[in-house]
Amino acid sequence: MLKIKDLQKNFGNLRALDRVSLEVEEDSIVGLIGPNGSGKTTLFNVVSGFYEKDGGEIYFKEERVDGLTPDRIARKGLCRTFQIAKAPEKLTALENMMLAAKNQVGENPFSALFTRRRTARVEKENLDRAMELLEVLQLVDLRNEYAGDLSGGQKKLLSLGRVFMLQPDMILLDEPTAGVNPTLTMQLMKAVKELQQREHKSVFIIEHSMKVISSICDKVYVFNFGKKMAEGTPAEIQKNEKVLEAYLGGA
Amino acid sequence: MEFSQIVANSLIRGSELSLLAIGLTMVFDILKFSNFAHADYAVLGAFLAYSFNQVFGINVLISIALAAFLTGLFGIGVDRILFKRLRIIGAKPVTLMIVSMGIEIGLRNLLRLIWTSETKTYAIAITKPLEIFGARITPLQIKIILVGFLSMVAFHILLHKTKFGKSLRAISDNRMLASACAIDSERMITWMWFLACAYGVIGGTMIAMEHVLYPRLGFDILIPVFCATILGGIGNPYGAMVGALILAFAENIILSLDLSWLINLGGFFNVHSIQISTGYKPAISFLMLIVILLWKPTGILRKK
Amino acid sequence: MTVINFFIYLLTMVGIYGLLAMSLNFQVGFGGLINFGQVAFFCIGAYTSSLLATRIGIPLPFCFAGGMVLSGVFGYVMSIPTKSLKSDYWAIATLATAEVIRLIALNEGWLTGGPFGVMSIPQPFQSLFSRDSYAGFYLILVLVCVLLVYFALSLLSDSPFGRDVKAIRDEEELCLSLGKNTRQIKLQAMVVAGMVGGLAGALFAHYITFISPENFRPIETFLMWAMIIVGGRGNHAGAILGAVIIQLFNVSTRFIGAYVPLSPDSMASLRMLIIGLLIIIFVSYRPEGLIKEKKKVYYPKRRHGE
Repeated sequence: MLKIKDLQKNFGNLRALDRVSLEVEEDSIVGLIGPNGSGKTTLFNVVSGFYEKDGGEIYFKEERVDGLTPDRIARKGLCRTFQIAKAPEKLTALENMMLAAKNQVGENPFSALFTRRRTARVEKENLDRAMELLEVLQLVDLRNEYAGDLSGGQKKLLSLGRVFMLQPDMILLDEPTAGVNPTLTMQLMKAVKELQQREHKSVFIIEHSMKVISSICDKVYVFNFGKKMAEGTPAEIQKNEKVLEAYLGGA
Repeated sequence: MEFSQIVANSLIRGSELSLLAIGLTMVFDILKFSNFAHADYAVLGAFLAYSFNQVFGINVLISIALAAFLTGLFGIGVDRILFKRLRIIGAKPVTLMIVSMGIEIGLRNLLRLIWTSETKTYAIAITKPLEIFGARITPLQIKIILVGFLSMVAFHILLHKTKFGKSLRAISDNRMLASACAIDSERMITWMWFLACAYGVIGGTMIAMEHVLYPRLGFDILIPVFCATILGGIGNPYGAMVGALILAFAENIILSLDLSWLINLGGFFNVHSIQISTGYKPAISFLMLIVILLWKPTGILRKK
Repeated sequence: MTVINFFIYLLTMVGIYGLLAMSLNFQVGFGGLINFGQVAFFCIGAYTSSLLATRIGIPLPFCFAGGMVLSGVFGYVMSIPTKSLKSDYWAIATLATAEVIRLIALNEGWLTGGPFGVMSIPQPFQSLFSRDSYAGFYLILVLVCVLLVYFALSLLSDSPFGRDVKAIRDEEELCLSLGKNTRQIKLQAMVVAGMVGGLAGALFAHYITFISPENFRPIETFLMWAMIIVGGRGNHAGAILGAVIIQLFNVSTRFIGAYVPLSPDSMASLRMLIIGLLIIIFVSYRPEGLIKEKKKVYYPKRRHGE
């Protein structure tokens, strides 16, 4: 589904991404781990179009997507979350979910004014789906609260819900459990696994917790200094000497 | 118009604008918002200086010094009462800008209330202008250029040879780091306001002396000052001066351009001269501002 | 002027400024687009409509439409730099642009009549009414426009489009990551706002039948800002309330002048000084204004499926 070839990203003299090549297959959950500053979020930013690359190629569903604007990449079905959960503060949790709904009607002034019946019908469908997702995420009681009033953990859950509203083909999750308490973490990961199994999408997830990685990932990539250092199943890389050294010796 | 006259006029106007631009660039850089009322502070000082000198007969240099001091206090007061609180609660720069817009309207009309809309002129004896390299320039105008230049030199010395200047540059580069090094940000900000206002007052008074003084002067020179500031790059005081000179030069050159050669190119017409109407003089700074914002908002000079 | 006539005039001006305030509010309150050049929409709408009517003589509805269209186009032009410019830089650029527009109106006499402006602007349905009752008719015309715009803008802000606009205001990057073409949405918001501003301009021109560049100075933009700051950003009713308050204040102080020992010039200064203070106080202490932004609530009490 996602193929990255020799991806390069420099910040001045710093090689944040140094000729990185990797693949994420359909209907799988792949993990990305590595010490801080090893280029994980940078990879996500380049792949999702928020940073410009300095070299290499990115293929999504067999199509070249490097160089496209972030919104175009998202519309092609490749969506992401942010490390620090963002949410428009003056929209309620439910509105946040509706914001992300795929195939909305009424998103321009003309259709908003003149196709009101169709808009209302599609809005109702999206509303039902949003409520279902909120139930899974156990956020239903907060549906009418301003997103700005939610806690960090709740915003992370909301980000997850939003990205599933997009019905993307592939999701990039950037540290979805960082700063979240352990109970909520298991809840989150359970939700991710559940939703992925329901919808059969691909998930590429940056994580620090080996517990999370081992519990949901089929395959893991390990990064260090902007390079791919190792890859394999969670069990394999846990035994990998280079990986252990990087984590104990580095960061 | 003789080229040397254009140069002379540009030097004069550039000197006047640069003194205001320096203050604006400092506030923009250190407090991170565009102070819409900046030019009006300068005009407040200019009015004070005018009253001290022309109404109460106090020596002109002392008048300016006094006016600069009082305006500096005013600027500090406004900061303490309004901006500091907003800074502390983490208000966005846009919010500060909108507040400064309110201050601009209020201050401009306060000036109008106190001093009336009547234009004020300095009673300076009409002296015969000197001729230097084909340009006609009065002794007052020469003094203005000199004052502008000396002020820049003084600012340079301040920035590089004094502890205050070093602290200012440190804060400009990284505020949090600077306060970690025990540089008292708030005190520095107080001094910065004082300096910005003082320089502005000198510039404003020079404009008042060379032309006329009226309450809306602040708003009228606001855009040219903004243009000069952004041209030179926010946070670069030397850039502010260069930007002011470039703008002044552009204003004078563009107005003296004769565009008839364009129309006469095809040989179909034989027009004598087409010039851009002087009514558009304010538009030149506006258009330059728009162009520089669209093309290179970081300015043409890199920040030191 | 009799008392009734005065009130009709006052309410008509409140209506016209209400349109302008709603237009600005749509950009600022809903879209987060800090427009300091709002008066340009007013100016373009007024000049376009009146010039089409006086120079070319086409039927008035088309003149009004022309004013709205050209203002909408100008909104489109203004939205182009929003991608690359930070909000305070864009704000300054809009201020500069609006002044350039006014200077063009001032200097290109062959087109706009220069400082003499446009005179003898025809009024719609003039022949149907007597001189006295015409003012009443025009007031109703303006109020109908205000109501129509209020409902249209409410529909827009409650629609998915409005949701997108508000989301872009608060978190643009997030919206990009959700696949929204933020540049296009901002553009559409500016065009809509521009058209409303243009309508206000046309209504103004055909009401007072004489316009000049003097009517479109930057101070007008700041008055509109005062209206949305006091009345409430992000709320259409707030914009109208702000227009009522500021206009009432503006006009009523003209009459106090008869009882207060201040010259008209000083009264004008004091008036604007107070408006400046209102802006400062409201932005510092009550930034939402008098009427806050509404929250959109679904299923407030019933739980889904209960």
